[in-house]
Order: sequence, then C-alpha cells, then structure tokens
Amino acid sequence: MNIVAQTLAWLTDPANWQGPNGIPVRTAEQVAISGTSLLIAVLIALPIGLWIGHTGRGTTVGVNVANLGRALPSLAVIGIMLPITAALDPQLGFKVYPTLIAMVILAVPPILVNAQTGVGEVDRELVEAARGMGFAEHHLLARVEMPIALPVILGGLRSASVQVVSTATLGAVVGFGGLGRYIVDGVSQNDDGQLYGGVVLVAGLALLTEASFGLLQHVLTSPGLRLERAGASETAMWVAPEAAARP
Amino acid sequence: MRSFRTLALGASMLVLVGACATGGGSNSTVKVGSVGFDEARVMAEIYAQVLEANGYTVDRAGIGIGDRKVLLPALESGQIDLQPEYIGSGLAAGYGGTSSNDPATNKIDLQKALEAKGVGITVLDYTPGVDTNALVVRQETADQFHLATWSDLTAVQDQLKWALATDCSTSPVCAGALKDAYGIDVAKLDVTPLGACTTPMADALANKTVDVAELCSTSPEIIVNGWVRLEDDKATQPADNIAPLVRNDLLSKVDKVAFSKLLNDVSAKIDTPTLAALYKEIAVDKKDIADVARAWLTANGLLP
Repeated sequence: MNIVAQTLAWLTDPANWQGPNGIPVRTAEQVAISGTSLLIAVLIALPIGLWIGHTGRGTTVGVNVANLGRALPSLAVIGIMLPITAALDPQLGFKVYPTLIAMVILAVPPILVNAQTGVGEVDRELVEAARGMGFAEHHLLARVEMPIALPVILGGLRSASVQVVSTATLGAVVGFGGLGRYIVDGVSQNDDGQLYGGVVLVAGLALLTEASFGLLQHVLTSPGLRLERAGASETAMWVAPEAAARP
Repeated sequence: MRSFRTLALGASMLVLVGACATGGGSNSTVKVGSVGFDEARVMAEIYAQVLEANGYTVDRAGIGIGDRKVLLPALESGQIDLQPEYIGSGLAAGYGGTSSNDPATNKIDLQKALEAKGVGITVLDYTPGVDTNALVVRQETADQFHLATWSDLTAVQDQLKWALATDCSTSPVCAGALKDAYGIDVAKLDVTPLGACTTPMADALANKTVDVAELCSTSPEIIVNGWVRLEDDKATQPADNIAPLVRNDLLSKVDKVAFSKLLNDVSAKIDTPTLAALYKEIAVDKKDIADVARAWLTANGLLP
C-alpha cells in the first residue's frame, strides 16, 4: 500500500476517531494548548506592544526582546523548563507546562512587534489632531490608534496562532497528547498511515486557523480603512479616523 | 612486439583490478548507526573508534537515527552498514521471531530470520554483557503496593500511572508480553508515552509524574535513585546481549576475517558491569560519549 492509501486508510478508520487517543480528543488537546498559550501571550505582549507604540519609548528594547524570543528553539525551552515545572506539579508540570511555556515564548514576538509597529505607524498628524481636539491619552489609544492599528495587530495574532498550532506538536516528545502524538508514535512504530495522518491533521488545523484569523481581520477592520487599503482616494483617508474617533 | 605490449597492459590491468577488489580497510567507509538511547550510542561509538583506529573511515550520521522500527529499514536498505543490536529484542520486535533467555539460541535464530528475509546481513559475536527491558518503581511505591515482581503489578495495574515506550503498544515484548503473560492491558491504563530508557522516562518517575517506568536494566538512574527494579518472573523479556549487525556488501568490500575479529575482540570485553558503568558515565556524570568510548578502549588496550 502506498503512503497516500495508508494515510487515507488511517484517517477513515473509525477506530481512530474514538477513545482517549482518537482524533477528536487529540485535536481538542491541540486547540486547547494553542488557545491557552495564545491568550497568555496576548495578555503579556499586547499591553507592552501598545505602550511602546503609543509612547514611542523602548522601541529597541521591544524589538530585541522579541528577537530573543524568536531565537529560542521551542524544543530547547521544553527541555529546560521540564525539570523546573515538573518539580512544582508532577502531572501538569511534566506533560503540559513545558510545552505551554514554549508556545507562549513563541507567540509573544509577533504579537508584541505587530502591536508596537501597528500603533507606532499611525499617522502622527492624526494623533496630534486628536490631542488638539482634547482627547485624553487613553482615549487616544483606544479610539484612534488601536482601531487604525487593528489590522496589523490581528496580523500579528494570526501569525502567532498559526506558528503555535503547528509547533505545539513538539509536546508529544515529553508525553503531551495533541496531534503531535500521532507524529511521534507514527515514527516510533514505523506506521506511515498514523504519521502522515497526523501531518495532514496538523496542516489542516493550521490552515483553518490562518483562514479564521484572516476572516476576523477582514471583519474587524474599520470600513474606512478597508476602503483606503483598497486604494481609494485621499478623502477616504480623512474620513477614516473621524469615523473611528466618533464615540 | 605489439601483442606483447597488449598482453603486459592486460596483465597489469588485471592485477590492478584484483587489488581493488580485495582492497584493504583504508578506503572503505563504514556507515555506523544506532537507536537513540545512550547505551546504544556508546556501543556504536566504541565500534566506530576501533574501526577508525584501524584505518577505516566511519560515517556516524546514523547514530541515534531513531527507534528500532526506523533503524532496521535503514540497515536493510544500505543507509547504514552496521548497528549494535540487542539480539533478543531485535529477533522478536524486529523480525517476528521468538526470543529466549539463551543468547546463543537468539543469535542463531536472528541469523536465520535475517537469511529468510534475504536482506544480506550478518550477526557478529555478541557481548557477554546483557541489557534488557525493566519495569521500575520508586521504593515507596514498592512498599505501598508490595511490589517485587511483574506479577505483583497485575492486581494494582489501574491504580498506578505508567510510562512506557512510544512503540510499546505494537511491540510483542512490551504490550504483547504484558497482556499474554501478566494480564496487564496497557490500552486500558493511564500511560504516558516516552522514549524507552531516556532521560524524560527517568524524570517522569523521579518527579512522581508516573509510578511505573520502562527503563533498561543497566539504566544508572535505578542505582542512583535507589529505585526498585521489578523481577520479570515469567521471563518474558529477551536476553539482550549486544552484537553488531553488519551488511554483507560491506563485509565483501573489506577483509572479512580481520574486520570481524576487530569487532569481536571488542565485544568479548563488554560485560554487564561494563555496560552499566559506561551508561552511568554518560547519563549521570554527563561525560561526552566519544570521550567515554575512547577512555574505555584505551584502558582495555583496544586502540593501537
């Protein structure tokens, strides 16, 4: 049986859709760890990125910390964190936290840098005009800068989520479940159907994540900005911030 | 005159071709491979260094290439030429044979299985040292559940958390043996799949993530942590002496007798305490595998 046939056979075998090692459970685990780590990364990276972008202070620090995060290989992070977290909690600290921490570290750089850049690149004239109109700083950030920066911020979130969803497979090496289980076990048991079945599922989930965030980006972008991005006239650019600034 | 020259040319060509065919070790590259855990790696490194010291070129890319189910196809297809095999487990898990407690029988049966499959591989001599699969528990677990043998696990199997090799569920000497001889059904237990005999496996036991871990009988963590190695009372685990499996097409390119003797002399000096000591130096003392191999070979006068 060739690889394609083996993979299809594995994916369509009802036995692989049941029980604790079944596709629904493993997909749920993959989504759960990805979602949790993204949420934590957003809580850490978004405020910092927004603050740096808004105040213009610490841009170099922000970029450098983000680059450091990108340079750390996730598998190394898992290996380093494991003895530490396992000592704190024998169950989750062994099977879940190392992977969770590694995924948070993976997700922070794109979210932080995009928030910083997105807010930082809002036209300074608009910002000054809003200040001139009497906007308080936090209103300025929330009602002028963020709506304009939103597509870029969501772009960072989109990039981070796709990376996390596909890299969370590493957790299987230290006993976590998720879709990585099929890849690790498929190699170990020389079961190509399982291995490539896992690959197909992870790729599918990553593509679905990408498409979902793409849609979210489109839906949440202010209509005025959408017009501008579609290459509309100068007037559209002036319409947009007023529309965004209106309470 | 011309015919004499042609004859002389022909004769010298024959000599040249003949010399190349029986070529010595100096230009032959030996591709050495092994599974991932430290003991297998150090055995492969020991064989590699002895070969290099005797004029062979060694390609180490295959060391630690993966589990047996990845390694054997690599050997059979010629991706690697030599790997140190645990002859009992290799026979059972690799070639569907029945392994026994007697290494001589295992070697014969393994060679027969290889010939039956027609893969052109020879089993050289095996080490007196043995390593086999071990189920290990912490002392307090042994005390709490009165565990001394594998049979003792049957009654309390679902009260314990297990860590087993990632290929256990499809291995006849793991899931198969546990079910048939001991009535332990791994599919129904709380099992964390980890690499057999690896550091995460030992960590899982040390951190109390699991209660029963699958390690190797020579794993140094057992001694270092004062863990209890349960006795395989129904003798399901194979006698796992180590022997190099070598491709015949490599043997035909080298001086087969000299090559075999080189490796056999090394194997003869590896007994079980040696295996445990080598393994400990790497896994516990964190010494470099190549250094440990070199030190042992030098101490035993095996490097010229």
